[in-house]
Amino acid sequence: MNNQRIEFDAIVVGAGLAGSSAAMVMARDGLNVALIERGRKPGGKNYFGGAVYTHAIAEVLPDYQDRKPPFERPVTEAGFWFLSETGLTRMTVQGGELNAEPADAYITLRANFDAWWAEQAQEAGAFLIPKTAVTDFIRKESGEVIGVVTDRPQGEIYAPIVIICEGVNNLLTQKLGLINRDLEPAEMALAVKQVISLKPEVIRARFGLSGEDQGLAVSVLGDVSLGLPGMGFVYTNKASVSVGVGVMLDVLVEYRLRPADILQRYLQHPAIAPLVEGGQLLEYGAHLIPEGGYKAMPKLYTDGAMVAGDAAAMVNALHWEGTNMAIIAGKLAGETAIEAHSRGDFSQRVTSRYEDRLKEGFILKDLKQYRGFSKFLETHPQFMDVYPNFVNDAIGQFFTAYGKPKQELFKGMLSGLTNRRSLIKAAGDILSMARAVMGW
Amino acid sequence: MAMKTGDAFVPKQLSEHLKESLPDVYVDDLLITLKYFIDEEEPHLWIEEHEVCMRCEHKPCLNFCPVGVYTLGSDGKIQVAYQSCVECGSCRIGCPYTNIGWVLPRGGFGVAYKFG
Repeated sequence: MNNQRIEFDAIVVGAGLAGSSAAMVMARDGLNVALIERGRKPGGKNYFGGAVYTHAIAEVLPDYQDRKPPFERPVTEAGFWFLSETGLTRMTVQGGELNAEPADAYITLRANFDAWWAEQAQEAGAFLIPKTAVTDFIRKESGEVIGVVTDRPQGEIYAPIVIICEGVNNLLTQKLGLINRDLEPAEMALAVKQVISLKPEVIRARFGLSGEDQGLAVSVLGDVSLGLPGMGFVYTNKASVSVGVGVMLDVLVEYRLRPADILQRYLQHPAIAPLVEGGQLLEYGAHLIPEGGYKAMPKLYTDGAMVAGDAAAMVNALHWEGTNMAIIAGKLAGETAIEAHSRGDFSQRVTSRYEDRLKEGFILKDLKQYRGFSKFLETHPQFMDVYPNFVNDAIGQFFTAYGKPKQELFKGMLSGLTNRRSLIKAAGDILSMARAVMGW
Repeated sequence: MAMKTGDAFVPKQLSEHLKESLPDVYVDDLLITLKYFIDEEEPHLWIEEHEVCMRCEHKPCLNFCPVGVYTLGSDGKIQVAYQSCVECGSCRIGCPYTNIGWVLPRGGFGVAYKFG
């Protein structure tokens, strides 16, 4: 060991939502923080739907509104779209709580948002080290983490505490033994997305929005994923729309499907094509979403280290939550690091307090409650197939004047379900869904 | 999946109707929208043992990679266009025989999303 070694009070691996949150909290408290990012700039590796949540942003940065966050639009309309092969049934809500100011959620693009979020950490005093990949840890013989190895020449960086926010491909977390198995394809959704440019006035007209201060965010179920376990989405940006679809990776592998084909098929759907017609492709991309939930989570702390965000599978797929969990978990890990410094103890005695903090809030409560949800989707593909089709057929028939007695109509509507799924099984499905969501 | 038991990978089949409904996207048309900083010296993806791929009858990597990194060469070997990789990680865990070597590109290299 030479005496010129690079030393910080804390190291954060990854300047995404979790990492920059942790860095911001620690730097603000006076810690000397290295925020290491493998991309040229923060956000460059990140791809999502999607939206960020103000409750989480405000918890880390109360005056965020004065700092010009690069939001695209507030989410003022949200809900589900059910696609059949040719039909679309919309179930969305607008107004009410969605009209709050500031909004609960803002649609954003990660290359912009994450760069801004990292800038806030830098302004608080964190030292951003971009273009640098962390490849390993420096550990004492006892196993305690005391720094990281990067891919720079003489790239060792020391700190008594390391917060790992490496993202979904959590190889460092695995290296540390915080989870003793690799990720499973059945726990991952592979999502692909196109960002398609459209003029704001076109977005306004096609999506029924009153102006740029309104935005739509929807989950799309049914034909979008060929009836296979997966989900589509649409988000309206300022002058573009983000349209994508995620399908469970094990399913893509087993059926040998090409994600770009599934997305193109979705974009060509008769109800979707008119929404994006004439738009120009700005960007295509892909990302894994850790949907394994509670059962796929690593241990969250060890001596000298903690893990937050996608690396810790902090995603609630049904509710689109993940960005908020990453921000809050990063903050809680940062606060735990501050506590460790004030007590001069970086062992599990203190880092375990990170998990206590997570248990006090919504993150671990929700992840535990929804622990059965990803298995539920896998074992109940009818929610991507039978029911979206039934909803479209039934509502379509209800509003069609066939010139037949209504009694026959209702029989027909019902058989539209029972031909696909018996009533007893349908009742069972609803119960299973309730169980998966309520955590019974 | 297959690798867990050592069994051969057996694909599932979509209905003919669904199969026919899928367009055949030329993925390069999508990739032109992406910005990359290509590491000419160190590929970050590789095939561990080409023998294993030769014995893999269905080669799902040719399809499920969202950017078409894996193609079949005229010599029957899998070719790896790591330059197109968006670092999603699907191939690392999706290859039924875990036969794909995968590390992160060196710092500063790889995809750089402009929108995200």
